[in-house]
Amino acid sequence: MDETLRSEGEGLHTEDMTISMGPQHPSTHGVLRFVIKTDGEVMREAIPDVGYLHRSIEKIGEKVTWHGYVPYTDRADYLAAMFANQGFCMAAERLGGVEVTRRGEFCRVIACELNRIASHLIAVGTFAQDIGAVTPFIHALRERETVNDLMEEICGARLTYNYIRIGGVGYDITPQTCDRITQFLDHFEPIVDEFNRLLSYNKIFIERLAHVAPITKEDAFQYNIVGPNLRACGVKWDIRRDIPYSVYPELEFDIPVGTGEKGTLGDCYDRYIVRILEMQESCKIVRQCLKMLPKGPAIAKVARKFKPPAGEIYVRVEAPRGDMGFYVVSDGSEYPYRVRIRTGSFTAMSLIDKLSRGLMVADLIALIASLDVDAPEIDR
Amino acid sequence: MQQLLNQLIQEGYFHGAPMELVYAGFMLLAAFVVLSFFVAPLAGITSWLERRVWARIQSRVGPNRVGPQGILQWLADGIKNLLKEDIIPTAADRRLFALAPYVVFAGFFATFVVIPFGSQLIVADLNIGILYLLAITSLVVVGILMAGWSSNNKWSLLGGMRSAAQIVSYEIPAGLSLLTIVFAAGTMSMQGIITAQGWAPWNWFLFYNPFTFVAFFLYFTAALAEGNRTPFDIPEAESELVAGYVTEYSGMRFLFFFFAEWGNLYVIGAIATTLFLGGWQIPPVTDHPILAGVLQFIVFFLKAYLWVFVAMWVRGTLPRVRVDQLMSLCWKYMVPLAFICLLGTAAWMVIWPQGNRLASFFMFLIGLGILGLFLKRVSFQIRHARPVLYLKPYI
Amino acid sequence: MSAVGEYVRDITETVTTVFEGMAVTFSHLVRRPMTIQYPDRIPKPVQETLPLRYRGILEVDMDICTGCLACERVCPISCITIGIETSKETKQRTFTHFDIDICKCMYCGLCAEACPTGSIRHSQEFEGACYNPAGLVRHFVTEPVPLYKPKKGGETDPTLAEKVETGLKYLDEFASPEKGGGAGTEEG
Repeated sequence: MDETLRSEGEGLHTEDMTISMGPQHPSTHGVLRFVIKTDGEVMREAIPDVGYLHRSIEKIGEKVTWHGYVPYTDRADYLAAMFANQGFCMAAERLGGVEVTRRGEFCRVIACELNRIASHLIAVGTFAQDIGAVTPFIHALRERETVNDLMEEICGARLTYNYIRIGGVGYDITPQTCDRITQFLDHFEPIVDEFNRLLSYNKIFIERLAHVAPITKEDAFQYNIVGPNLRACGVKWDIRRDIPYSVYPELEFDIPVGTGEKGTLGDCYDRYIVRILEMQESCKIVRQCLKMLPKGPAIAKVARKFKPPAGEIYVRVEAPRGDMGFYVVSDGSEYPYRVRIRTGSFTAMSLIDKLSRGLMVADLIALIASLDVDAPEIDR
Repeated sequence: MQQLLNQLIQEGYFHGAPMELVYAGFMLLAAFVVLSFFVAPLAGITSWLERRVWARIQSRVGPNRVGPQGILQWLADGIKNLLKEDIIPTAADRRLFALAPYVVFAGFFATFVVIPFGSQLIVADLNIGILYLLAITSLVVVGILMAGWSSNNKWSLLGGMRSAAQIVSYEIPAGLSLLTIVFAAGTMSMQGIITAQGWAPWNWFLFYNPFTFVAFFLYFTAALAEGNRTPFDIPEAESELVAGYVTEYSGMRFLFFFFAEWGNLYVIGAIATTLFLGGWQIPPVTDHPILAGVLQFIVFFLKAYLWVFVAMWVRGTLPRVRVDQLMSLCWKYMVPLAFICLLGTAAWMVIWPQGNRLASFFMFLIGLGILGLFLKRVSFQIRHARPVLYLKPYI
Repeated sequence: MSAVGEYVRDITETVTTVFEGMAVTFSHLVRRPMTIQYPDRIPKPVQETLPLRYRGILEVDMDICTGCLACERVCPISCITIGIETSKETKQRTFTHFDIDICKCMYCGLCAEACPTGSIRHSQEFEGACYNPAGLVRHFVTEPVPLYKPKKGGETDPTLAEKVETGLKYLDEFASPEKGGGAGTEEG
């Protein structure tokens, strides 16, 4: 386009425009910054600039006790705090050889899947908001509020749960809470259908997302895309199934993958619809867990001064933003020697530069939203 | 209005004064009255109502604290904006920056000249009313471009450019769909178009033939695009361009843009009502001229406001289109369809020069059918996904 | 021909899906809003509707605090500072200060679980706004008070007994309705 312009209009001087999008931009989901070069509406490149929300959570891990670090992991990704809790606790348990109680495992899965619903609701809601539909966003947040209320009953906090502890869960799920959860699921499943009728099948919405920024399988592997973004490319890879942990092997659930039904495989619409389907799968998992919930203690006996033997471990959990890895080194003392958190959003950011070339400004917004990147998780 | 003025002149009230001055003064007076007693409260209350409707669609309550049910919220907002600092960025083109909101406002406000609120209530019944409308609303794009350019902000510039492309393109389907009515009515005067219709729905131009029925929706869509409303609000697309051409504005200047936007909603509704929905036509219930005038005004106002409500409701439903899709929607879909409507109406008029009453009635039934289908879907939605679960069951 | 079909299908799809979406939003116009009009237009304060496990601002019942310093030790951000002084003559140990910095506190609940008597616990209170950060440091000891010593065979003083009861009940509720679960077993 540039060349044709130059050759046609002799002396007509065109120039790329460099715009700094963020860190205070309405659709960058927190404090992200992109330096974008555009030719009018068409993007030349978009270079992500991360680090505005760095809180040195990994370094803090070396200064607090094993038990005391669990509340800090909440802050790694505050939209899905339960998964960071679980990742760190699993790492500590495997290092220290702690056996998690069976009821504890089920409580963990229930809490995690509810959290996944909440996180995906934010993802699809803000997605809609970025595309310009405001109502689905508020509807999604309305449902998320009820999940938050449930979380408040389960563990006393709405966002930073500190629920999963080394050896099990902090507080048991009461029978009343179980009833509430079932009630919520009965109510929530039709709401997802309604959400689909309102937004997912809307022609304008589909047109905005289909064929936009498709990620090929090869790209996904090379750039280490994980989680729903990877599954949207048609790769059936889920840590819950492929590297099973907790009680997931006993549960029946599908792994939704992108099919390219409305456009190309791995485009923004696939990434969107995979999240919707995953919410429905999570509902199924929670229902099964509520049925299978065994009796017994919710937490195993763990020493107050927890000192796992020296060693290192890498543990992966399937968080809403993909494979969340905890690399934890112990030197046998009361404090972890090193904690490293690997998150899905960070690797997803690296792909934006490649995908954004030739897109329009509005498509870049859709791309960022579809990857569901989350500023605190990128920077930690 | 004109008749009243002519009568006054004939009776010698302005003896000796130059006629032009009298006319100009009278026009200024009318503008002042319309602006302060009709347009300002209308735009304000529209803004409040939009927020309320929007909120209810989104399971919220909306502004309900200032005045009964929050109806005075617009006054509070207006006063707040008046008292705010009027910031002009140092790098901005000061004159254009200061002028732009008023150009936008003028473009919208001048349309009130030809809007017929009743058989007597019209500032000037121009015989080229529709042409005037199309011409004067183009002024808005100049103002928006001025705002986008003079702000010296790249987001504003992008917003301004988008707006220019959008408004210029959508004038064509809007103009073409209005032309179908000009064909059917045989006049461009607003009052003439209204008198060509009747008070009963099947006498409206909306149900005149299938082509005008489609033309109505084409016009409404194109008007939404011209008014920068969702799903065509790309010039001020909040998630993409921060706030588009109004990014750098603050205080009263900022308010003027939105004053124009909300007022413009009513203008869209009023034009749609005039052209398609029988305007101020009322059943012959009274002979009293003043009572009839009041009734006409109420009927017209309600009909126009219905479309204001629909615009709010559309805004609460649809996502935003992309800039290239906006263009393809216009040139690939709406312009050809508008042409078909135009030609179809022309052919219709060749076959039935006086219109076909049976076809009109049939179209009316189809309209009712669509409404019924819609209500059925609504009741399905309510039954299917009722949020029965209130963890904290109070408002 | 397929191009024409696609063209027509595009139009019909747009019209039908928009129609459906409009029906959904219209149906919400007649439903009840979900908003809670905090803080004034609600039948009872939000604090009273929160579940018992809710982790609000910390409060300490000094009458049943044993001064074991478990909470101070377990706190990951050291927002609790406790001063205990032993008098030389009587060997009586008294608190000189017991401060909790609400600014720092991250409401993780670890201190409340570590407390053997349930004297430090999360209240349902969450409104802590004030003009000065210093006002957010809660001082629970205004004048030196003696430490609480649990008596063997139950508390005899009725007012104290009631407080002990409340603390234990809180520990129970906070932890688990079923025996064996919760923080009680965490003491290794």
